[in-house]
Amino acid sequence: MRSRAAAATLESAGFKQVYSLEGGIRAWKGLVAEKTPESGIAYFSPATKPEEMVALAWFLENGSRRFYAEVSRRLNEPDISDLYAELASAEERHQATLLDLYREFGGTPPNDGFPKSIISVENEDDVMEGGMRVSEALQWVQGKSTAAVLGLSLALETNSYDLYLTMERRLQDQPSSRVFRDLSGEEKQHLERLSSLLEERT
Amino acid sequence: MKILDYFRRVSTWPPETVRTFLKENREDEYNLVDVRTPKEYEEGHLPGARLIPVGELPDRLAELDPAKPTIVY
Repeated sequence: MRSRAAAATLESAGFKQVYSLEGGIRAWKGLVAEKTPESGIAYFSPATKPEEMVALAWFLENGSRRFYAEVSRRLNEPDISDLYAELASAEERHQATLLDLYREFGGTPPNDGFPKSIISVENEDDVMEGGMRVSEALQWVQGKSTAAVLGLSLALETNSYDLYLTMERRLQDQPSSRVFRDLSGEEKQHLERLSSLLEERT
Repeated sequence: MKILDYFRRVSTWPPETVRTFLKENREDEYNLVDVRTPKEYEEGHLPGARLIPVGELPDRLAELDPAKPTIVY
């Protein structure tokens, strides 16, 4: 999972041939690889219009927020559960920031249909960062170790960080790029917290 | 455009393909990156793999040559 997120990061940075080791280190050692909820999808971003990028980001944040909130409810360890509640509210704040940005771009307040008025999300409101399905991921975390859940979250946050870095690069000469710099900065802090927790638990 | 149209599949290689590739190519011809934690890396890693934990990768891209094939795990 983490390796797919890494591969996605490399691809969007322009690396030409990137391969993720199928089944990870377990498969390499000849052990049975664990099934993961990833759909084998990486962020690619052929989105050209800024408002499309903003709508996409809002939508993905929405999925991640739902995922984190539900994981927070399910976890038994209070400190980790608190962290997930914090992550969920951070994603909610990001959504508000993205809405403000959309107003700047569009000049009009988003209507009730946002982001559906910008990108087609029919029957697809179950997707979060990395193109992962929220329902699949929630099913997967059931009965998993805290380390495994942290590993999945780390992959999500890497995708998210990468998405905002990409947006910042694309909009580099526009004032709005600072918004993406702030967002990527926050995602980076999440990455650091999740990384150190995972390091403690592996 | 649909949500999933914004995404593209990551390519994966089964262990056998990776083994053959590592055997047939010199170490300076590819990037082999372990994106797990330092602890996981210490417990055992692929020969010649460089450790870059996934959370640090976006900021450490300059350490890798984008023109070379890159294998991550």
